[in-house]
Amino acid sequence: MFSLCCALLVKEQETDQSQWFVDVVLPHEKDLRNWLRLRFPSIRDVDDLVQEAFTRLLNAHSSGPIANPRAYLFVISRNLAIDELRHSGHERPSGAVELDPASIVDELISPPESAALKEEIKLLIEAIQLLPARCRQVMTLRKVYGFSQKEVAKQLGISVHTVEAQIGIGLDKCAVYFRRHGYSTR
Amino acid sequence: MKESSSELPESSPAEKQAAKWTARIDRGLTSEEQDEYIEWLTEDESHRQAMANYRWAWGEIDRLAGVQTIHHDKIDPDILAPSAAVKPKRKARRNVIAWIAAVPFAAVLVLALIYSEWPGIGRSEPEFEPAIELMARIEQQSLADGSRVYINRGSSIEIAFTSDERRVYLTKGEANFEVAKDPTRPFIVNVAGVDVRAVGTIFSVKLSGDSVDVIVTEGKVNVKPIASEFKSNTPVVDSLLDIGQRAKVRLNSEYPMVEVETLSQPEIEDATRWQPRWLVFDSTPLRLVVDEFNESNPIQVTLGDPSLESFLISSAFWSDNVEGFVRLMESTLGFSAEWGSDREIVLSKHDKPPALRKINRN
Repeated sequence: MFSLCCALLVKEQETDQSQWFVDVVLPHEKDLRNWLRLRFPSIRDVDDLVQEAFTRLLNAHSSGPIANPRAYLFVISRNLAIDELRHSGHERPSGAVELDPASIVDELISPPESAALKEEIKLLIEAIQLLPARCRQVMTLRKVYGFSQKEVAKQLGISVHTVEAQIGIGLDKCAVYFRRHGYSTR
Repeated sequence: MKESSSELPESSPAEKQAAKWTARIDRGLTSEEQDEYIEWLTEDESHRQAMANYRWAWGEIDRLAGVQTIHHDKIDPDILAPSAAVKPKRKARRNVIAWIAAVPFAAVLVLALIYSEWPGIGRSEPEFEPAIELMARIEQQSLADGSRVYINRGSSIEIAFTSDERRVYLTKGEANFEVAKDPTRPFIVNVAGVDVRAVGTIFSVKLSGDSVDVIVTEGKVNVKPIASEFKSNTPVVDSLLDIGQRAKVRLNSEYPMVEVETLSQPEIEDATRWQPRWLVFDSTPLRLVVDEFNESNPIQVTLGDPSLESFLISSAFWSDNVEGFVRLMESTLGFSAEWGSDREIVLSKHDKPPALRKINRN
């Protein structure tokens, strides 16, 4: 039996969504917990965090495709964990919290060029591709690899301030691109 | 549907600002920035809209997480460098629900944003002011000595540890202390001139208008009004409280007496129900799940339609996480949530299940 904390199953209301959850998401639960405990030993409640991450993943999935659910799950969880540490104020999230791409990518993902990727993913990729080179690199490391701003700065040998500024510019351009392509919340 | 065209305007000044704030929030706001941010956000409706939209966009890009292949096990910042191959054409419409998948915020920001970020509840624009501050989670603090404190909503404590004693001032409301054992350094909660002293134990202290209540749920606690804090010439008598007992000290009486009584199990449960518990439900009817939340929280959840009562829920929640519970009901069961009054959230059924709404989103 899988962990109680995550599965919200409604009898006689089985949807594709919950099947997808059981097939695609749940198998990563154990890894995710272990990884969270290892990287964030002071997190108050891993169960709570995992449940929140699942909820967000389900929300995202109900509205469009996700390139790599496992990676998405790890990125959300990491963001939640850092946020919780920030909020509790007992521990400064530090650069020691790294998201190791190798621990995340466990399966062959279609390369960006592949037609297998859904159109929305392609649109997201194109938005990033159209950014100026430096900006694109910053957004790629932050969003695809899930590095923190500090880690991105280290990777590219630039200042944290530049990373923050580039993220602002990159997000603005992506948001405009989304709007021009009718990709919006409404 | 509109054509995708490059005539659509560039971003507005508010949006450019929203992009900057999103980047800063992603980096982590300083406390000054947090104030500045809230101020900016509440300045103008356009700011809130821009922020909601940009946070949504920021979250959307997370869908690309892990898009690299195992062939790229080396970190490559250029994996998304332009290549002529990709040409997206079709326009996609998104469901509003994706808003809440956006980047997480500190709880205080979440509260400030609930209107703009939480479509189900925000949309209803009620005439009353929903008591969103009561949606906050119960605060837990881990103290330097390993003790743990739950601080009820609207309450506050101050920590003043020294090498001789572990002193905490309860200045407002109530808190529950789980004290780490250390016989050499007593743990003392001072509340309105009353010292509550423990070594290793669990107890709650509550300050109301005219009295201090102490309830012990594990171990023993000494309750002692400090003579100099009361206008009284009679010697002050302290009391040793045992498990399951409650001490009451009336603050406006002339003689600071400690009244001790033994509580029944249900009475203890009632008095400590605000403290977060991990609730596990296994095929439990929604009505009972909602009851459990309502007994634990000032915000009350009601079911708009009796047919919802018998939905069977298998899940687990923290008892103080009403927001998480309601959001899960919205996202997973497709219920809609609206404020019924300032302290009431009404759950009702959507016309269509989520799967259908998804298909229809074009």
